[in-house]
Amino acid sequence: METSFAITGKDYVIVASDTTAARSIVKMKEDEDKIKAVSPHLLMAYSGEPGDTIQFSEYIERNLRLFHIRNNYSLTPSAAASWIRRSLAQSLRSRKPYSVNLMLGGYDTTSDTPHLFWIDYLGTLAEVPFGAHGYGSYFALSLLDRYHNPEASLEEGLEILKRCIDEVAKRLVVTPGKYKVKVVDKDGSREIEL
Amino acid sequence: MSRSYDRALTVFSPDGHLFQVEYALEAVRKGTCAVGVRGKDVVVLGVEKKSVLQLQDPRTVRKVAMLDDHICLAFAGLTADGRVLIDKARIECQSHRLTVEDPVTVEYITRHIAGIQQRYTQSGGVRPFGISTLIVGFDPHDTKPHLYMTEPSGIYSAWKANAIGRSSKTVREFLEKNHKDDLSREESIKLAVKSLLEVVQTGAKNIEISVMESYGKITNLDLSQIEAIVSEIEKEKEAEAERKRSRLAATAAGQASMTSRAAAGTQ
Amino acid sequence: MSIMEYNGGSVIAMVGKDCVAIASDLRLGNQALGISSNFQKIFPVTDRIYLGLPGLATDVTTLRERFRFRVNMYTIKEGREIEPETFAHLVSSTLYERRFGPYFIEPVMAGLAKSATGGFKPFIAATDLIGCLNFAKDFVVAGTASSKLYGVAEGLWEPDLEPEQLFETISQTMLNAVDRDAYSGWGVIVHVIEKDKVTTRTLKGRMD
Repeated sequence: METSFAITGKDYVIVASDTTAARSIVKMKEDEDKIKAVSPHLLMAYSGEPGDTIQFSEYIERNLRLFHIRNNYSLTPSAAASWIRRSLAQSLRSRKPYSVNLMLGGYDTTSDTPHLFWIDYLGTLAEVPFGAHGYGSYFALSLLDRYHNPEASLEEGLEILKRCIDEVAKRLVVTPGKYKVKVVDKDGSREIEL
Repeated sequence: MSRSYDRALTVFSPDGHLFQVEYALEAVRKGTCAVGVRGKDVVVLGVEKKSVLQLQDPRTVRKVAMLDDHICLAFAGLTADGRVLIDKARIECQSHRLTVEDPVTVEYITRHIAGIQQRYTQSGGVRPFGISTLIVGFDPHDTKPHLYMTEPSGIYSAWKANAIGRSSKTVREFLEKNHKDDLSREESIKLAVKSLLEVVQTGAKNIEISVMESYGKITNLDLSQIEAIVSEIEKEKEAEAERKRSRLAATAAGQASMTSRAAAGTQ
Repeated sequence: MSIMEYNGGSVIAMVGKDCVAIASDLRLGNQALGISSNFQKIFPVTDRIYLGLPGLATDVTTLRERFRFRVNMYTIKEGREIEPETFAHLVSSTLYERRFGPYFIEPVMAGLAKSATGGFKPFIAATDLIGCLNFAKDFVVAGTASSKLYGVAEGLWEPDLEPEQLFETISQTMLNAVDRDAYSGWGVIVHVIEKDKVTTRTLKGRMD
């Protein structure tokens, strides 16, 4: 089942998501990238209704780009998060709401701080030190309660992430096979091989 | 009542004119000059900068705008109208990417902008945009530069080099005389500056140059770079004048010696 | 499953002697799963009015933004700060606008109102999710632990409590009520509003 995690560390945010695309009980694809770099210092892991996720994430990406072209600077992660939340909250009370859950990890270049936001399809926004969506969250969050360290180096952060993935692999009935891991820091975002 | 033809925008005059559109062109002619030059694999936009007031921040007065990673626009005419049109174009650029993945082509966004301008000559309760635009850029997956112009009427056309705004006729004639195919980067910039100097008396500080070299690679020349080019051009002009003068002097001397020899012969 | 209980959370406000207090828990959950232990539900409206918004978390944020907007507009247009009674009616009408598709929030507000003599009078109020106002003289409660809050507050509250006593009363009420509620807890925040200052304290409580 769809699962995504995100962890903040000393000066970075790690965002990880499984790579399966499934339609009901059938696996359609095993290498789907469900983490989008919506702007240079902002990563968005999305899950939910397949069509909605792509449509919504691209809509966000284009609007953030438009903002940059219009104003010559990018939205900070918290400003972007507020705007994205508002889009979802407005969508919720429309005729056909987007059903998309997000983990939004970003690096604020103005204050040199990493930020992580947990956002669900209702438009619930919470800034968190670590978070997860999907069935994996039931296992990962308690693990992270115990092992998360906000001052951890990237290597330590990835170690903690591995523990989460292993735990989900061990306990969840329908385990996602592979994960894609990306990290965002002062140099922007990049993919990492686990 | 000939009066009424220029009251209602959407009404033709008996001889087939839309006066408001022609007045819009007049507003363009009053605007500061902008030139575009297309080289071999480079395209250059040059604009005449109004001199800013002493206490004004010059960075807030910009006449060249980026529409997307690979497209730039310069305009002449009413600045406020320009801003509105630029915003519409920027939205279309992102919207196009959103709907069909690909970035816009230069021709597409030109057609879109010209389409908006045309719409404002045929709808009720609006007036035309008082601006002409020069649109430059590169198509995705292509190395050929493009240069387009649009007008308030909604006409658009492709060019090798062109000018809009104040004294654009003089500048265009200059470009017609001096433009060659396959200009290099330096030659293109120089031609743009040179043509602008035809109408900008105050020199480098009132010129702004943007160079686009390939998809997504845009550079704005800073003042010192433009000054260097201007002084180079002036030196060339100086040398040219010097040559002319010395040639003139030589002919005069030749004539003088001839007359003196003739005089000697008669002696 | 009720929408009002989806994210959990509770708020209470109490009247004291020349002071009022408002407190909430800090939990944000997805039904039984805890997401955040630092989710603010109480927001300052002016220096002397605080507003608590227990209910569906998306509407907490949406309503906070809307009230900030409407209060700012009021302040600019009137050239003065909004009074608690006026604000209560603004809350009520904002919610009633959505009578047939409501925000799932039951606001609680606490403040000090300017009296004719120049002093300040404690003010608390709460509304239901469509804006029916309830002005109380003692305390108001809302959220998933509201029934428990009623019970404890009924036993602990007495008239004319001094600020420090009021803080103790509201804190104990909150801590003990949320301990009996699975959807509220994970820390408590308390604001005590007096005429010249607001004291804010965060309490740990049982973090399970």
